[in-house]
Amino acid sequence: MSKANFDDFLQEQLANPSEVSPSRDLWSGIEKAIATSAHEETVSTQYWPKVTGIAACFIAGLLAWNVSMNQPELNTMRDLSALFEQQKQALLVQYKTQPALTSDWQGQLDELEQAEQAIKLALQNDPENAALLKMLAQVYQQQLDLINRVHAPSWQQI
Amino acid sequence: MLIDAKQAFSNTNTDDKSDDLIRKVQQGDQVAFAQLYRKHEKPVFALCLRLLADQQHAEDVTQEVFVQLWHKIAQFQGQSKFSTWLHSVTSNIAISYLRKHKNWLQKVVSFEQNGMDEQSIAMCNGLNGLDKLILRLPERARLVFVLHAVEGYRHEEIGNMLNMAVGSSKSQYHRARQLLQEWYEHE
Repeated sequence: MSKANFDDFLQEQLANPSEVSPSRDLWSGIEKAIATSAHEETVSTQYWPKVTGIAACFIAGLLAWNVSMNQPELNTMRDLSALFEQQKQALLVQYKTQPALTSDWQGQLDELEQAEQAIKLALQNDPENAALLKMLAQVYQQQLDLINRVHAPSWQQI
Repeated sequence: MLIDAKQAFSNTNTDDKSDDLIRKVQQGDQVAFAQLYRKHEKPVFALCLRLLADQQHAEDVTQEVFVQLWHKIAQFQGQSKFSTWLHSVTSNIAISYLRKHKNWLQKVVSFEQNGMDEQSIAMCNGLNGLDKLILRLPERARLVFVLHAVEGYRHEEIGNMLNMAVGSSKSQYHRARQLLQEWYEHE
């Protein structure tokens, strides 16, 4: 059987959008968030979320400024690692008093750190290898995502 | 010639039946909001998945969209179809999420995020052939293609949404189209 012309394929597929569902029930989290925000609106003395938000924005702004100031030199493993460590420590401090939502997240972080070390070792032999630098950046991103995820508002975890 | 899929979505009779629901939700009816969520959950999630190319992130953003919808639904005045308005809200939240969560790394190392790998795509049930290919596209090409070909935005609008020149939007669209055609013809 011959394939349809690409334009026909596009037209047909765009007219019949995918019926794809999330892998988990999202409604319970949404319901909880709505209920939480309704409660927060009634309690005027709850200023800590605002303070935390402002602090997070300040840290993010500081890091963005740092990134933009240092951008021309950010091509080596050392610079990349230094920036990542800064970001990671800022997040860990930010979430220090906030309980993690899973108990095994440190174990997952350890595994990612082991991957980071293996890539760094390979980069010592080939410091300009773009594929290895990209892999290192991805492992760093995974670590940040993990830290953010386990400390995210509980409704996002449901 | 591509059809305007935004129009295709809007042409369903879902919107007509939603009018009453929307009014109830605007009055604070949470039961009606649950019904509205069930009606629009799948297209919103599908759009998030196309834009983010990550199932977990798409789920988080879908939740965020509906949480924000609850707070913003009073702003919907019925001047456009509800599904069109909801898709626009969803696109903006997903793009903002991408900026917030990925920006620093992309600034540090100048590489473009790849699309999803084939194993992850296979785990998403219900995707049609085109969506399976869209999810493989690199980020910028994917965003432009989804916004233009699927959601019906003009390149000028996409330029504003993604902070890129109109010419870049057009070239990313052609790049996406070429890649999709290549993959389609070689599969």
